[in-house]
Amino acid sequence: MENASVLESRSRRFAGKGAALADRLATVAIWFSAMLALALVIGVIAAILWQGLGTALSPSFIFGKPEAMREGGGIWPMVVSSFYLAVLTLSLVLPLGVGAALYLSEFARGGRIVRLVRFGADSLSAVPSVVFGVFGMVVFVIYLGLGYSLMAGALTLTLLNLPTVMRSAEEAVRSVPNSYREAALAMGCSRWEMVKKAVLPVAMPGITTGAILSVGRIVGESAAVVYTVGLFVRKVPWSPFRPAAPMAANIWHMYTEGALVPDWFRVASGEAAFLLLIVLVLNLLARTTAGLVRKKMGYRA
Amino acid sequence: MAGTVSAIGKEWLIRKALLVSALVVVFGLALVIFFMAKESLPAFTGAGPANLFGSVWDPRQGRYGMLVFLTGTLTTTAGGLILGTPLALGLALFLTQVAPRRSRSLISRAVELLAGVPSIVLGWLGFTILVPWIRRMSGSSGSGILAASIVLAIMVVPTITAISRDALEAVPPSYTQASLSLGATRWQTVRGVLLPAARPGLLAAIILGAGRAIGETMAVAMVIGPASVFPTSLTSPTHTLTTKILMEMGESTGVQRSSLFAMGLVLLVLTMALVMLVRRVSGGESRLMVAE
Amino acid sequence: MVSTFTGRGGPGGGQGVGERENAVMEQELEVGAEPAVPGIRVEGGYKFRLRNLSLYYGERKILEDIELDIPENRITAVIGPSGCGKSSFLRCLNRMNDLVEGSRVEGGVFLDGEDIYRRDCDVTALRRRVGMVFQKPNPFPKTIYENVAFGPRILGVRDRATLDEVVETSLRRAALWDEVKDKLKEPALALSGGQQQRLCIARVLAVEPEVILFDEPCSALDPIATQRIEDLLVELKEKYTIVIVTHNMQQAARASDYTAFFLIERQGDPGRLVEFGETGNLFTNPRDERTERDITGRFG
Repeated sequence: MENASVLESRSRRFAGKGAALADRLATVAIWFSAMLALALVIGVIAAILWQGLGTALSPSFIFGKPEAMREGGGIWPMVVSSFYLAVLTLSLVLPLGVGAALYLSEFARGGRIVRLVRFGADSLSAVPSVVFGVFGMVVFVIYLGLGYSLMAGALTLTLLNLPTVMRSAEEAVRSVPNSYREAALAMGCSRWEMVKKAVLPVAMPGITTGAILSVGRIVGESAAVVYTVGLFVRKVPWSPFRPAAPMAANIWHMYTEGALVPDWFRVASGEAAFLLLIVLVLNLLARTTAGLVRKKMGYRA
Repeated sequence: MAGTVSAIGKEWLIRKALLVSALVVVFGLALVIFFMAKESLPAFTGAGPANLFGSVWDPRQGRYGMLVFLTGTLTTTAGGLILGTPLALGLALFLTQVAPRRSRSLISRAVELLAGVPSIVLGWLGFTILVPWIRRMSGSSGSGILAASIVLAIMVVPTITAISRDALEAVPPSYTQASLSLGATRWQTVRGVLLPAARPGLLAAIILGAGRAIGETMAVAMVIGPASVFPTSLTSPTHTLTTKILMEMGESTGVQRSSLFAMGLVLLVLTMALVMLVRRVSGGESRLMVAE
Repeated sequence: MVSTFTGRGGPGGGQGVGERENAVMEQELEVGAEPAVPGIRVEGGYKFRLRNLSLYYGERKILEDIELDIPENRITAVIGPSGCGKSSFLRCLNRMNDLVEGSRVEGGVFLDGEDIYRRDCDVTALRRRVGMVFQKPNPFPKTIYENVAFGPRILGVRDRATLDEVVETSLRRAALWDEVKDKLKEPALALSGGQQQRLCIARVLAVEPEVILFDEPCSALDPIATQRIEDLLVELKEKYTIVIVTHNMQQAARASDYTAFFLIERQGDPGRLVEFGETGNLFTNPRDERTERDITGRFG
């Protein structure tokens, strides 16, 4: 038949070689992307650590008092601020996020509410952090009269982190096998009792992993915090209703105003390195608990 | 009997409480939109839309045009996507098609790590290393759209990679098998079958990456200049919407402050539009056919 | 071992590793050499000759020591209980097993006298010559036209007129043209199961193969669609060598010229070729008692 000659033509033989060449080129390009990405990650982390690790790991820096005019300042109030903020935020966002996740997964009946909630969560998660920041300033700092404070920051960050906490909590809750639910219901539990006894305990490790990752995000958040919590304090903050200075905001402060301090570059580099270390450690911690979750699920499921 | 009644009552209460938790996001979104609109009202009534969307920012002359900053946002986002998308796509293809089993988790974990780097830290790195390097290479100030695009590219790669990877993995393996069994090379299969089939997901990935880039503040703030003028080149300082809001809100009052809120409102509209676009792209696509 | 995009079997190969272990079999096999199974007379030549073929997925042995010759331009059915490795056997013929991570082959598979597992074999060219139709119809999420045109495009055909011609010819040969000629631009996934499967056949035909492998092609189809495909097979064998794996004894008896019977003794054993012969003889007068036991129990 005529077609056989078409497909056997010389141009097809070239096409065969061309295809093989394209295949090889594509392979190279793809390997290149992967190596470039790897190099970027290593490069970024290495550069930050190289610049500031020395400072970051010295106790006098971590636990030292900050200086506004002189050299040799430390960042202890900033470290405390960051973690204080994280704890406050978590205490608000976890119950809300887990509650929302439980509602969506276990109690929701109407499709309309679920769709509305999902739309709200998706939209909220796309809002730029600086918009959250100025919103928080207007509503919490000014309107509610909280002033620049950890509380104002916590409320703002709760809104900012709620979508992600909801998502990870929902994932954890949905991964609980249905057999657990059925068993509890068969024993006569009400819906909530079933959730409390059969779903939550099993989902807890997954929820914990999500919480640890949230701490990382909260500690690294800067734009939303600059206009709600504060940029610089001398003393360790005790009251959540007074200004504080999380590390992420303080680095910004160093960049913009820090030139007053002679070794501002060293302080900022050290703070950045320290912050990165914390985030890396939290990441590692989250991954370990996630691994434990998998093992636990593997046994039971 | 009283016990059961209160038990049912308790159940009802808990259900309502959980519903309220779920609605917080909706309520919060509404609040954000409301307050941004409220705070930007003086700018709309005082300066007017023509002024606000004009190209001159000079508060002393009563000019509050945000066009410079909008341009900055759009160009840095475009730059970040142009640099970051090929890298992310290549990475996603690597992780799904090429990587030997063991390196797969190593590389994907490395990319996750990149996602965890706080933007202020990345901005600091941009300020201390990237900008001086560009300055040396080009003799200009070093900061500007190029620096911001590079930094943004680094920030969006993890997002685009993760979603693209999901999209690629969701393509039924039977398509790949069919293609290979016809004598197609691996790349012909990727190009002819895999990428077209994954297109909705890949588009969603890029759109979400764009959303991330548009909203990024800190990393860009430290490398963008800043200057409230249109850039004359890739390495001349300028501003984006986010960086302008960040750097001026503290000292602004009156109409100026309000115009900053107007910029925030524009950001809000932009990002929400992207969210809706993503839903259209990935939800409404017919599964029957994907165009070439 | 770094697994590259192109694989080790030459340009454009699969992702896994298809190694060949038995160095003795590297020489080419004469087409006219002694048949594997003595006593079988075959007009025409043999398309495939398998010698000492063993297949491993990692540590597990899937097939053991297969010696078989597949006649040209005939329909050869491969039957046996489930799990005996029939599909894996089929995939050895077009090296689709290479895609399974850790797969390994010992022995030789000779297509027209050349070992397809030799080091420098062009796997994409092989797969063009040896096409495959899968158990579940798997048309691409494209138009009917683009499905069939996919193969020629891969081979470098760009000219619209040529593509149109190839598409029409292939659809005609797959007995699908009349049903779809007015809706070539419609999605392939909108077709019925039987039509989709015939579309997949057309897709394979469009690359002008020499052999077509069918892996239980009718198991997902209704009896009418099944009948149409069986009729199609008889038409196709004039130009192509057909190997069809089926779990349906009646289908094998109806539609094939030769039958190969595979078996595993116990769970976890590798599959072995028990008997091969003309279909009529195998079913009425099997030589091996295991064949007899298995077939007469379920046939008739």
